[in-house]
Amino acid sequence: MRETIFISGVNHRATPVAVRERLSYAESEIVAALARLKQAAPAIHEVALISTCNRVEIMGVTTAGEQAHQQATGFLADDRGVEAAAFASSLYHHEADAAVRHLFRVGASLDSMVVGEPQILGQLKNAYAQAAEAGTTGLVLHRAFHKAFSVAKRVRKATLIGHGSVSVSSAAVGLAGKIFDTLADKTVMLIGAGQMAELTARSLKRLGVQSLLITSRTFDHAVALARKLDGTAVPFDGFQPYLKLADIVIGSIAAPKPVLGPEEFEGVIRERRYRPVLLLDLGVPRNFDERLNSMENVYLYDIDDLSAVVNESIGDREREAEKAEGIVRLEVESFLKWLNELELVPAIRDIRSSVEQLRELELDRHRAWLLTLAPAERERIESLTRGLVNKLLHRILSGIREGRAGGSDGIYTAEIARRLLSADLAISGRSLIEDDGDEDEEL
Amino acid sequence: MSLRNTYWLALALACYALSAAGFATERAGLRGRLSQSASVLLGGGAALQTGDLLMRGLQAGNVPVTNFGQALIFLAWLTAIAGLVVIVRWRMPVIGVYVAPIVMVVLAVGAATIQTERLAMPQSLRSAWLPVHVTFALLGYALFVLAAIVSLVYLMYERRLKAKRPLLPTDERTPSLEKLDRISYRLLGWGFLMLSLAILTGAIWADAIWGHFWSWDPAETWTLLIWFLYAGLLESRLTVGWRGRRAATLTIAVFTVLVGSFVGLSLMAGGKHGGNFG
Repeated sequence: MRETIFISGVNHRATPVAVRERLSYAESEIVAALARLKQAAPAIHEVALISTCNRVEIMGVTTAGEQAHQQATGFLADDRGVEAAAFASSLYHHEADAAVRHLFRVGASLDSMVVGEPQILGQLKNAYAQAAEAGTTGLVLHRAFHKAFSVAKRVRKATLIGHGSVSVSSAAVGLAGKIFDTLADKTVMLIGAGQMAELTARSLKRLGVQSLLITSRTFDHAVALARKLDGTAVPFDGFQPYLKLADIVIGSIAAPKPVLGPEEFEGVIRERRYRPVLLLDLGVPRNFDERLNSMENVYLYDIDDLSAVVNESIGDREREAEKAEGIVRLEVESFLKWLNELELVPAIRDIRSSVEQLRELELDRHRAWLLTLAPAERERIESLTRGLVNKLLHRILSGIREGRAGGSDGIYTAEIARRLLSADLAISGRSLIEDDGDEDEEL
Repeated sequence: MSLRNTYWLALALACYALSAAGFATERAGLRGRLSQSASVLLGGGAALQTGDLLMRGLQAGNVPVTNFGQALIFLAWLTAIAGLVVIVRWRMPVIGVYVAPIVMVVLAVGAATIQTERLAMPQSLRSAWLPVHVTFALLGYALFVLAAIVSLVYLMYERRLKAKRPLLPTDERTPSLEKLDRISYRLLGWGFLMLSLAILTGAIWADAIWGHFWSWDPAETWTLLIWFLYAGLLESRLTVGWRGRRAATLTIAVFTVLVGSFVGLSLMAGGKHGGNFG
């Protein structure tokens, strides 16, 4: 039976998070789960388990695709205690080239919720490492995973799939990087402790911002967030004097009118000695007067400006994803070629040994005569038979590899050749008795 | 001028032209072999020019800057080298798209106007101060050229950021506004120092030969004016803190005055600096 690669699982496209979270595995559970899976699913020879917030997938090697699929999904339902009906309809199952393509697309971040996001490759590497640790990987999965990693690397290098900002907070951080050379000596001020403001402040802190001021209409909120982010809370009534310290001001307050206009900001600018200020207005209605943008060294972005950056990047990534699909297509082809040749290995081994056995049998028949010859002559005959056999094998094997026998399936041709040659052996065994007189011709 | 000399210059010019083309294709978002070797080509041009200057310098027994054409060639060389330093040291290949064509044009104009015969430099004027004075002056100019280029890059980038228009593909590699502003300031500072040293060494030389430091020669007057303009520019930054767009605009404005005086004076060709060493 021929071995094939398969993937069964669910992902963010068709399965809601409420189901995905019940099916998912923590990183520490995977090695043990793989051992259970190996027990529960005898149809699966090699196996790996990929579990991230966007997907739970069982990938393996089997000779019986449908059976493997049943066992894999049955295991998932039993092991996680989720009734199969909850995810049966959104379940997918890929085999052979479709499975390889799926794996490569996942690794290259083409199947991600945010196309081009970089985490998936690390998660895939983890899944592979855990399967290797559990001892459930074999030749095919090793090769498939390594190929997936190299495809991902190639896609990153050859396309701009990971470029641009695809969330409001990353767009804000990207803008900060265009205006400021370093964030380490900058001060960020939050006016309003909204969730998006918090997210943005976190990203800025990750990039080196040390000093953080937080003001909020409810002082307790400011204090709570300041404690969480290691910042300083400032009372809302008296936040104006602190403005001159802030290089980045993030507004996310619910207010009917702007809390900051050009009149009061004029003085701030002068006190700052015209050092640039980035104003990020995440509020609706807007927190900062739009005229601020025309002030010298003041850069104001409201929520629409930031969303425009995000949409632009998403559009760019989609265009780049098309290029990436082309790369994946080529790599799937080359991987399948390797896999097909791998399938041929047992058949080729049999063909070789059949023919070699035949040769030895014939030499055996003439052993008595051969022993009467001088060693040099014996050697000569030995090499003559070997040469004949090798030429014959070369024609047959290269014909199988290159598909010269017609039909696309190398394994089928190989199987025919294998059977014919082993049958040949049986016949030639009989012929020893029947065609005794023809031995001169046979030699 | 021997054929071999022009041969070196022509090769340098070709290098600069290719470099300019490389930087231009890079900016257009077409990354290829030419755009990747743009900086190397700029360096190649400068190396060829070094050979040319060495040969002519050895021929003349002095820094070959005795007429306007030669001064331009020398200026092109200094600008190319200083530009390369900025590109490599501060990782700013974005300025290449201006540096390379400017160097190319300055060199081409210099090569076209260079006088075939070497101007006889009166024995009385030969002094160790001449190469020092001229080198300081031209190095100062080269740094002002770069400061103006960085300011130009700043202004255009700033406008794109403020207008919230989609950025260019190359903006991914454009340095931040803060960095552009700082580099422009540094270049101005160094340029100003060179200009001051040029004035000082010029005065010392004049005193040694003519017996007076200053003679209100047109070039001297203009240079002094430009010195004051740059001093004011630096001062406003230090005291009031003018930076960013205003500083960049003023840097370009003062540079325009500098170019005007440089071209104007050389067209008039009067006074000591015009080659009449009376």
